[in-house]
Amino acid sequence: MSPPLLVARELRKDYPMNGETVHALRGVSLSVQAGEYVAIAGPSGSGKSTLLQLTGGIDTPSGGSVELLGTRLESLGDRELTRLRLTRLGFVFQRFHLLPVLTARENVELPMAEAGVTAPRRRERARELLEYVGLRHREGHRATQLSGGEMQRVAIARALANRPAILLADEPTGELDAATGREILDLFRRLNRDGTTLLVVTHDERLAAEAGRIVHMLDGRIVAQDGSGPV
Amino acid sequence: MTGLGWGLRNLGRHPLRTALALAGIAVAAAMLLDMVMLSGGIEKSFSELLLARGYHIRITPKGTFPFDTEAAIPRATGLVRALRAEPGVRAAGAVLGTSVYGRTADSLVTLVGYGVQPEAQGLYLVTAGADLGPGDTLGVLLSEPAARLLHAGVGDTVALAGRLDPQMAQASTDRRLAVRGVVRWIYDSRGQPSVGTVLPVMQRLDGRAAADPASLLLVKATDDRSVATLAAHLRERFPELAVNSVADLVVEAKRRLVYFTQLSYVLGGMSLVVAVLLVGTLLTITVNERLGEIATLRAIGVGRGTIVRQVLAEGAALTVVGGGAGILLGLVTAEYLDAILTSFPGLPQAFSFFVPRANTLAVAAAVLLLTGSLAGLYPAWLASKAPIAATLRAEAT
Repeated sequence: MSPPLLVARELRKDYPMNGETVHALRGVSLSVQAGEYVAIAGPSGSGKSTLLQLTGGIDTPSGGSVELLGTRLESLGDRELTRLRLTRLGFVFQRFHLLPVLTARENVELPMAEAGVTAPRRRERARELLEYVGLRHREGHRATQLSGGEMQRVAIARALANRPAILLADEPTGELDAATGREILDLFRRLNRDGTTLLVVTHDERLAAEAGRIVHMLDGRIVAQDGSGPV
Repeated sequence: MTGLGWGLRNLGRHPLRTALALAGIAVAAAMLLDMVMLSGGIEKSFSELLLARGYHIRITPKGTFPFDTEAAIPRATGLVRALRAEPGVRAAGAVLGTSVYGRTADSLVTLVGYGVQPEAQGLYLVTAGADLGPGDTLGVLLSEPAARLLHAGVGDTVALAGRLDPQMAQASTDRRLAVRGVVRWIYDSRGQPSVGTVLPVMQRLDGRAAADPASLLLVKATDDRSVATLAAHLRERFPELAVNSVADLVVEAKRRLVYFTQLSYVLGGMSLVVAVLLVGTLLTITVNERLGEIATLRAIGVGRGTIVRQVLAEGAALTVVGGGAGILLGLVTAEYLDAILTSFPGLPQAFSFFVPRANTLAVAAAVLLLTGSLAGLYPAWLASKAPIAATLRAEAT
């Protein structure tokens, strides 16, 4: 068996709030293999999003460690961590967070421009990705001219732009109606089938059910998991 | 998508707010430009005015400047001959400035009279008719205001009177002269009625012909580069006279008008501060509104450097657009202000306080662009330091 793509060991995260300490994560360990589709489920405040942010290197843990492709994130400086997020990780957010002043294609091109991909190459890649998510015909439209489902599909295309090792999604259907959410579920299933590793935070049971493994969290801890993968 | 293009689109999110900020920047830029034009304009305009006819050196009675007092240089004709014989002198001429009277149908009108040597004059440009000949003792040149006042044109005859006898209230000398041409006297103030004759005629009208006086002597050097040397030589040769090159006179003018330069620096500095505050405030508000967007960009791997460059580009975009409009506004207001300032009595009409020059525009634009971009430093720093996770959490709730 190949080594895991992502390993989180004994992760803890404490926040100061109103003079008290909130324990968002209380020693969480998780391992994700390449090609896996893992859903993290649990009620609001259970620490799902915090776990995603720590594994994605956009927040630092109070204790424990995260290892991505053999690199310990704690050992990286801000510049290296930013570069790693740019080239090895893809992020999808609940509220899409597209740049409203840019077109769909420009939004997809953005991470590639940051990575130094040439303009013709990134334009070609952006069109491929928009084709993949079914929005090639909307490439010239500004983000504000797209529907919620379309914006999320553009956000997914943006997350895939630099061919990340793993795609991290935080409540990707949280802002969408049922029908539109279904389109995103289909897209995630297709992505995983095509080889993309997915770690998805959700309280959407349909989305969680699509995953190969469901990790259940409660009160900052993993309390159960369904499926075949290791905790 | 370049940083500047992206910045421009971001500024377009709130068109009214951006338009108001741009208007403020344009006004500040216009003020800056006007002040930069003012600080160097007087010097340039004065220098150009003095060199309008290519005469590099002015010789006046000791302790005076051209037309500063009524003091005169005696035996001017002989001095001019001596000057013309000096090595390094291409041309020299004498000028007498005095008051004369012109007769109209029922009264006398006061005129400024110039006695000139037409073969070597640095005071006027002929705009209609012809110039005086060197020995033309029957001809006269009029300024436009003098022609209007005397109801005379080229070919007409006018009557000029010299000093009045205070007891008889009559002119001591009266001459009828034919109008040869209408001219623009370079150093006349707006609306000044002036007449010019050959030097001997004006000396007679002035009543001091025997002394052969001149208010100043003009000297043209054979070579622009040898002016300082020639001026030094003439100072030694004529120690009883004040010899000033145009450069000397410009220095003196700058000394006398130093408060204009100081004023321009102070107001220019204030306008820069206003521009910096406007750009800084707008960008800080914009960055604070877009912290979620910035945190997202950082999360997906966009570096701090890119974020900083982006905010600075927005500052530059604001400055470029506002500054461009400001330059146009500045040119228009400079013309208006110039018209007001040059209408002050005693100032030559051709004098300008605000002189637009390519290097002036470039300096104003560069200073504005630099400070406008620097104004984005604080909001750029704010943007680059936005905590990613905390901002995204706040956005999600």
